[in-house]
Formats: sequence, structure tokens, C-alpha cells
Amino acid sequence: MPTITFITAGGKEHAVTAEIGRSVMEIALEKSIPGVVAECNGSAACATCHCYFDPAYSEAIGPIGEHESDMLDFTASPRRPESRLSCQVRVTDTLDGMTVCIPAMQ
Amino acid sequence: MAHAVPVVSDIAFSDLLADPYPIYKRLRDLASAVYLDAARLTLVTRFDDIMTIERDSETFASSNPGSLVNKVMGHTMMRKDGEAHAMERRAIEVSFRPGTIKSHWAAQFEAISDRLISDIESQGEADLFDALAAPMASLALIELLGLKDVSWQTLARWSQALMDGAGNYSGDPEISTRATDAAAGVDAAIDAVLAWHRQNPNPAVLSSMVNAENPMNPEQIRANIKVIIGGGLNEPRDSILSLTLGLLSNPSQLAEVMASRDLWPLAFEEAVRWISPIGMYPRRVTRDAELSGVQLRAGDQIGLCVGAANRDDRRFENPDSFDLLRPKQPHLAFGAGPHFCAGAWVARQMVGRIVVPMLFSRLKNLRLRPDEPARIHGWVFRGPVSLPVAWDV
Ligand code: FES
Repeated sequence: MPTITFITAGGKEHAVTAEIGRSVMEIALEKSIPGVVAECNGSAACATCHCYFDPAYSEAIGPIGEHESDMLDFTASPRRPESRLSCQVRVTDTLDGMTVCIPAMQ
Repeated sequence: MAHAVPVVSDIAFSDLLADPYPIYKRLRDLASAVYLDAARLTLVTRFDDIMTIERDSETFASSNPGSLVNKVMGHTMMRKDGEAHAMERRAIEVSFRPGTIKSHWAAQFEAISDRLISDIESQGEADLFDALAAPMASLALIELLGLKDVSWQTLARWSQALMDGAGNYSGDPEISTRATDAAAGVDAAIDAVLAWHRQNPNPAVLSSMVNAENPMNPEQIRANIKVIIGGGLNEPRDSILSLTLGLLSNPSQLAEVMASRDLWPLAFEEAVRWISPIGMYPRRVTRDAELSGVQLRAGDQIGLCVGAANRDDRRFENPDSFDLLRPKQPHLAFGAGPHFCAGAWVARQMVGRIVVPMLFSRLKNLRLRPDEPARIHGWVFRGPVSLPVAWDV
């Protein structure tokens, strides 16, 4: 199983093994990583699962959907080029070693 | 071992309607789930327990074969789960996207708000329920749905009749008749515009429904439009009033928000946390489950009191006070999970960015009237039912 490292806004690192096929949001909730709220539980409707993803993995993650991009304009913490909704990113083998930074506010 | 659901039977229904918050506190402190005789329902009132439930829609389903909502409105997405729900929801999503709201709806909401405020500007006093909040919410919903030749009063009447019908547990025949009439009125209004929307794709909900990748069939359209009418009018109306009331009751916070426009979104979120327009919604327990030490049984009907969770003192400090500068953290006013309010971004924009800011900037020295205090009512749906104000002219 691939390993993903979450880094909280305070700088604390949590390396976890992630089950393939789940969303990164689900992994964060399952492992009780603080800072991922995910109010809508993955419906891409709340923008409270916003994270900054390691740019080196952007190709492996895949492109941002139109709706996802729209929601990212309304995140509580500033949108950056590496912003994604973690509920829309699926875990695959190619994400092994990726870091995901959690913003200060959701 | 988990214990049985405790029962509270010394509360009058009228007390719940007048001020549910002290009752909620008692229930929260008693157990994770409590059967309240007055409501004839098992209520869940703590923030964390509701979150747990909303993350497990297999154990706690929205679908409910015998529900009154289904009887009155048809099979709406609000009472479906899993892929059946997701597919219908995706069909309307585009109308509610933040980007669509910004590029399309915001200008329309501004025009409606401007007109309504201009109408009362010279009067010096008004009850904001009738003068602003009710027509604003209704006119905006007519645009959003894509209805034509329907007055705001008619839509408001339909909305009330449908909701009363959905809550008609005692089977009052007069309420059922009114709900049936309203349902027929909605169906006719849809029929009058559906062909037009099919031929002229546009951001309205009816257009999204017929032009989606997986278009809805006529039965789905009728049911879902009804649930949006039933559930999409009170909430913006009530949050316009709660936000206004919260600010007028707290002059220093009003001064802050007037000095810095960026605070409006926080003020809006605080208003819907403080008085959540939808205070309770139901779920059905599909298999025996333990909830924080209480044993729930398959088949139990439970009510998730988000109005109580949003005042849970395990989560919010001084939960009963309106404080837009409190540390930002999520609330449950829009629910959680797959049924997270589809209209959340519409409400944020319309109420928090357009109507209430415009109200305070246009009506000078807006103030409450000590001789006629605001009245707040309800528990399943709660909000100000009267908000008399005065201003300088
Ligand atoms: S969980 Fe709501 S947008 Fe991702």
C-alpha cells in the first residue's frame, strides 16, 4: 500500500499507509488527521476538505474537474496552484511518497 | 454495555416551539439519544454524534418508505441514498455551483434586493419579515428554479402548504387538502415552462434537470422541484432575519462588519449557527447500532437536531451568544454528509454578500424597536417570525 504523509498547518507530520481506491479525504478522516473537515463527505459540495498536494505528483493525481475547480475558488484558506479537494483525489500506487499539506482553515 | 434510549416526558410541545435551547441542553447532557415525548421522536443533539451518523448512511438512512414527504411530494432525492441520490443531485449541481452563482445569479439577486429595499426606503419603519425577507427568498427561488408567471405570494403559500403536509403526523384532512392543492399548482407551473427550458438551456434548475447528462424523468422533476420549494424558501428568509437581528442586537459587531466587508461571510455563518433555520431532520436506523453508549434498534426513527448541535457547549464557547468573531469552526446548519445542503452557496452569496449588507448600507441608523420586540418561533424550522425595525429618513 502506498504511503502518504500529511503535514498539518502547525507543521506536524503524519505518515500513513493508504488503501488504494479510497479518496485522500477518507484516508485523512480514518487516520484522524486534524484539519480535514469534509462536511459533505465527498460530494464536492462543501470545500472543507481542501489540501495542498505535492506538485511533483500533479500528473499522477490527474486533472482538476470543472466543478472541483469552481469549488476551489471558495476555500477558506487561499487557493494555490497545488490546491485540490482531497475528496476528489483517489489513492493509487503512483501516489506513494506524496505529501499533502493541510491548510490552516477550512 | 449500552443502555436503552432514555425517555423525557415532562416537556410541553409549546415550550419546544417557544424556546428549544434549554430543552436541547438538558437532552445533550442526558444521553446521546433521548426519546422526547412531546416530539414523539428520538432526538440526537450532540455535535459529534450527528457527525458520526452523517458519515454512515448505511446504518442511518435518509430513505424512508412510509415518510410523509414521499406521500406529499413524491420520491425526492432528499429521501434517497447512495447512487440513486447522487445521480439526481449531480443533475442539478450546475445550477448551484459557486461559479454559476457569481456569474449569473448574483446580479439577479442584487436587482431583486435593490427593488425591495427601494420600495420601503422612505417609510422609516417596517417589519422585515414581510417587507424584505419573505419576498426576497421567494422571488430569488422563482428565478433559480426557472418558473414563470408565479407570484412570490403564491410560491410562499405552496412552500408552506407542502411543508405543513410533510409534517402532518396527525393526518389533519384540511392540511392534506392544502398540500395536495399546492402540489397540483407546482405541477402545472412546471408543465408551463418545461418545454421552453428544454429548448433554451440556461442556469435555472429546471433547465439543468432536463438537460443533464442523465436527465430526470417527469416524476423525478416534479418531486425534486417540490422538495426545493418546500425546503428552499424558509432558510434564506429566516437567515436574512437572524443575521439582521444578530447584528442589530450587537452594535459593536455591527460596527466591525461595516468597517470591514470581509467579515460578512463570518457573520452569515455565525447567524445560521446561532439560529439554524432547519433545526431538525430525520434519519432511519437500518440495523442495531450503538451511539455513544445508547443502543439504537433497527427501524428506529431518529431526529438529528442540528439546532442543538450548533449550540453544543462541548464544541462552542458561550454557544447561546451571537459572536461573529468566535474562532472559525464548522457548524451543522447545512447538515453534513451526502445530503449537505445543495443551496449552501446560494444562501451564502444571497444573504451574506448581497441582501443584508445592502440593507445596512441603504437604511441609515437601522435599529430594533424597543416597543415591538422581534419574535422567534419553532424548532424543526426556527427563525424570526417578526422583525420590526426603524431607520432614519
Ligand atoms: S468533502 Fe466536501 S468538498 Fe470534499
